[in-house]
Amino acid sequence: MLTLLEQLDKGTLWQSPGGIHPPQLKTLSNQSTIARLPLAQRFVVPVPLVGEQAILTVAVGDQVLKGQMLTEGTGFIYLPVHSPTSGRVIAIEQHATNHPSSLPTLSCIIEADGQDAWCELIPHSLEQLSKNQILDKIKYAGIAGMGGAAFPSHVKLNPASEIDLVIINGVECEPYISSDDRLMRDYSDEILKGIGVIHHLLNPQRIIIAIEDNKPEAAKAMQDAVQRSTLPTGVVRVTVIPTKYPSGGEKQLIQIITGKEVPSGHIPAQLGIVVHNVGTAYAIQEAIYQGKPLIERVVTLTGEQIGQPGNYWLPIGTTITDALSAVNFSQSNAQKVIVGGPMMGYALADLDVPILKGTNCLLAPSHNEIAPDVDEKACIRCGECAIACPALLLPQQLFWHAKAEEYDKAASFNLKDCIECGCCSYVCPSDIPLVEYYRVAKSALKIEAEEKHQAEQAKIRFEARLQRLEDEKNAREAKAKEAAAKRQASMKSTDKDAVAAAMARIAAKKAQATSATTTPEAPQSTVDPKKAAINAAIERAKAKKATQANTVSRDDELVTSTADENVDDKQAKIAAAVARAKAKKAAQANSESTAQTPNSVETTVAGTEPSADAVDDKKARVAAAVAKAKAKKLAQANQTDDTVIEAEPTTDAVDDKKARVAAAVAKAKAKKLAQANQTDDTVIEAEPTTDAVDDKKARVAAAVAKAKAKKLAQANQTDDTVIEAAPSVDVVDDKKARVAAAVAKAKAKKLAQANQTDDTVIEAAPSVDVVDDKKARVAAAVAKAKAKKLAQASQPDIDEAASQPTVDVESTVNIKPDVALTDASDSADLSPEQVKKAKVAAAVAKAKAKQLAKRAEQEEQ
Amino acid sequence: MAFKIASSPHVSTSLHTNTVMKRVALCLIPGIAVQSYYFGFGTLVQILLAVSVAYLAEAAVMKLRNKNIKATLSDNSALVTACLLAVAIPPLAPWWLIVIGTLFAIVIVKQLYGGLGNNVFNPAMAAYVLLLISFPVQMTSWVAPQTIAINPASMLTSVQTIFEINPSFTAEYFRLGVDGIAMATPLDTLKTDLSMGLTTTESLAKPIFTGMGAEGWFWVNLAYLVGGLVMLKLKVIRWHISVAIIASLFLCASFGFLVSPDTFVSPLMHLFSGGTMLAAFFIATDPVTAATSPRGRLIFGAMIGVLIYLIRTFGGYPDAVAFAVLLANMCAPFIDYYVRPRSYGHRTGN
Repeated sequence: MLTLLEQLDKGTLWQSPGGIHPPQLKTLSNQSTIARLPLAQRFVVPVPLVGEQAILTVAVGDQVLKGQMLTEGTGFIYLPVHSPTSGRVIAIEQHATNHPSSLPTLSCIIEADGQDAWCELIPHSLEQLSKNQILDKIKYAGIAGMGGAAFPSHVKLNPASEIDLVIINGVECEPYISSDDRLMRDYSDEILKGIGVIHHLLNPQRIIIAIEDNKPEAAKAMQDAVQRSTLPTGVVRVTVIPTKYPSGGEKQLIQIITGKEVPSGHIPAQLGIVVHNVGTAYAIQEAIYQGKPLIERVVTLTGEQIGQPGNYWLPIGTTITDALSAVNFSQSNAQKVIVGGPMMGYALADLDVPILKGTNCLLAPSHNEIAPDVDEKACIRCGECAIACPALLLPQQLFWHAKAEEYDKAASFNLKDCIECGCCSYVCPSDIPLVEYYRVAKSALKIEAEEKHQAEQAKIRFEARLQRLEDEKNAREAKAKEAAAKRQASMKSTDKDAVAAAMARIAAKKAQATSATTTPEAPQSTVDPKKAAINAAIERAKAKKATQANTVSRDDELVTSTADENVDDKQAKIAAAVARAKAKKAAQANSESTAQTPNSVETTVAGTEPSADAVDDKKARVAAAVAKAKAKKLAQANQTDDTVIEAEPTTDAVDDKKARVAAAVAKAKAKKLAQANQTDDTVIEAEPTTDAVDDKKARVAAAVAKAKAKKLAQANQTDDTVIEAAPSVDVVDDKKARVAAAVAKAKAKKLAQANQTDDTVIEAAPSVDVVDDKKARVAAAVAKAKAKKLAQASQPDIDEAASQPTVDVESTVNIKPDVALTDASDSADLSPEQVKKAKVAAAVAKAKAKQLAKRAEQEEQ
Repeated sequence: MAFKIASSPHVSTSLHTNTVMKRVALCLIPGIAVQSYYFGFGTLVQILLAVSVAYLAEAAVMKLRNKNIKATLSDNSALVTACLLAVAIPPLAPWWLIVIGTLFAIVIVKQLYGGLGNNVFNPAMAAYVLLLISFPVQMTSWVAPQTIAINPASMLTSVQTIFEINPSFTAEYFRLGVDGIAMATPLDTLKTDLSMGLTTTESLAKPIFTGMGAEGWFWVNLAYLVGGLVMLKLKVIRWHISVAIIASLFLCASFGFLVSPDTFVSPLMHLFSGGTMLAAFFIATDPVTAATSPRGRLIFGAMIGVLIYLIRTFGGYPDAVAFAVLLANMCAPFIDYYVRPRSYGHRTGN
């Protein structure tokens, strides 16, 4: 028994079931080398991901260069879109796209200036780049699978499991199409260089270049190129396989080459196999060694209605009208223009649609080339379809159930394994458009599954809500009980004082009601000194806990001062209780996080500053360690002031409950976001509006940044992003947050590049501040800037500071303005009392920020 | 600019249903020719009658159903049904027999179930069974092979007999063999003789058994076999059902013959007499009423083979093709439900 590798080397082939032998008709187009057509005037570049994973980086009227990125975005499978030529963006609008439905998609319409001037290209050699850099380069070159499916290639080049075998697909089994054939003949060395990159990235044991035996010239060219290449001998092999449709299908090809079947519902990587198209290998080579993004591809223009059939380099975005008119397309009556081959291609309704990355062929057949449209006749269950089916399905049964709309039964006949190759329809003696039936059935099943999923989600949400309401109710009751008990205890000892205090409180409230801002000092005197002392004691105890207990190590171990006139002793006590509870929770969370359980640590403390961050346990631990150290330092620094660890001006509007709800929402959203971004490296910190920048935020930001910096150092990732989204939480929805994230990242990078230590970075109070994980120093700078800002805000001319508009590049992002407004109004509410406190806080913050900055710098070094 | 939208694929084979059906009918020709040679021109008359009635009946039903008459008639499925029924009944059976049978096959068995592709039972065989049960005398009055008959039927006499024009020409008249005794079919003869205590050897000594098995029947079966092989070659049918029928029948018969050669008919006699080859290649392979997966078809065919043997050997009828096919038709949906091929990617322990 030979091993698989030996069999691969021998060129052993396995049989793929089913299949058909339609007329090839490739000689119509493969007789001449790949040519170029005159540059078109207008290009339509669809940017479908904009609004979901990406943002546009150009606006109408902008000049663009050839190869310039038109979008920026995040996400693992995000691919940028590039300008196919130099020119001007004349519109960004909904435009019909190259899809069977012709549904409009957001597209950039670019008017060529005729210069065809490239943007700056940065060629590299493999040695200059790390694997991640290569993957990034492939990703940012926008390389998608060129075989038709257009799946992002960098994903397939960065598999989770070991890859033993790479198959380079040059089979091109569809009739008419010869783009890969021609590419292999004309650019075999370039393809081999691309294969070299793939080899470098995946380091497989074998790379098989599979070519059908109807392309002997291509096979010869590739064979020669393999001989010439510098790749280790024996690794790359050209295997010629018999001509049969659909041998070029990924699953079929794997079966023919290895005898293995890709398990249903899985990807080939499961078997340690990855399949790449030859065109993709070529594009990878262009991206790495030339620095060129994927902006053009070889397209076969063929069919009897085309005057000069052949293969052409067409820029992505060339409209099909332009492409066809350049090769003397003559339209016949009831003309079909097919994108792709005659077996799997789709007929277009509108020709003003662009060439896409997966468009390998345009077929304009005459009437005698393709099947006439005939009426579907009755299925006689002859079973020819089952014999032709390469997926070993029973198309006649699928049809039977699909036609009766018994989709569940169709599904039980493994409808989902249908690859829509069209073999069944091809052999059907009754001219039944079987594939069409399956598509309808598949869509119906998909919709059904989606609805089911949504219903389940709604149920989960509803149950979670009920649970939350229940929890809140319980917490409220417990709190009330505790407060009542304490009140009773204090009543016993100092009844009179308590009564007096109560009176004073009532008076204070009244006074406040009548003239809210005129007598800010008056209620201060009514605060019961005893209660204050109790609070102080509690806070002291907590401070001790914070400094001594190793487990209690939250950076946001905050204690509310009682300075605010609106905070009466009761509230303060409640706050203290909550704070305590939270500290405990945090301690638990920390102990959990050390046990490697991913969780999101609640940073809401003292009921006034709800903020949430979803960090992974590693980050959380790092942050916790920093916080611990800081808390110690703080405790030492503030020993004289034993009642206050941290002066924290509180807002009058935020009450405990609201804040917690907000925090919960924020947390949930952050979590969701973290899940949505699969790389799990985006942390969003959503904070409700608070009055001024406090050092806590700066610390959190710095801690997160530092943690990230560390992570970065370990993982060498480049796209970790920390986003502090400060708008009122309920405005932020998932999508917006993601957009914000994308913007923030981009900005952070720009910022980091432009001015790494710029203290004048103005970030108005709590508006979005961006911490590029790459540059912890920037985080420190931001923190410092904030501290400064705070100091300014603390000056008598608060109003001026508050009324300063948010200097914000991101004002284009629609979540910003109201944030700035809220901030300003909040700042305006500061009383002189608060200002004083704020000044103290600012001083502390500044000091800390400086420390942090130093530390961050050290960390980075 | 108007562009034509269509779902992929945009090409297809030239083999269409009407061609398939036409080829089936054409492949019947060798069998019909040999059958006419041995049993007179009655068969041709029956075919003519059956085909015209079938087309008329189908057209009438299509008219009632408000469907395209031309499209339906041009699929040639009625032609095949009519031919199969016509070659299955005795060549000199009265005209009304084939008319009733054809009407039943087309109108009730096929169209009332929804037309081509929707019928559960093989129309020709269902009609055959109807006639056999309703008109057993007419249906069992096979003429003696022309080669050994006293009164070979000419074209004219055949027509006269079928249309009951001349009362002296009855089926009985043409059944007289060389020995002056009305002849039954070979299988009937064997069955009767065996039930009377004769051995197969004794029975086979009768004049109807000459040369290679049964006189005439052997060559008729061989001709249908040839037609069937042509169909296989043309990929009009696939091998599974035919091979399964022949193999299972052969195995069963061999087993019986080995156990007791005197009381059980030889495998060769089973394969080359009665309607075995006609059933194996032309009747049971009707795709509409057969199982649809390759493995299912093997089971389906094997079932027919076994049933033919069992009914012939132990049942009340000398031949059993029609019953076996109908019983297997009933099982086809069941077989299809349980016998499914392993789809790609569903290999266990992959």
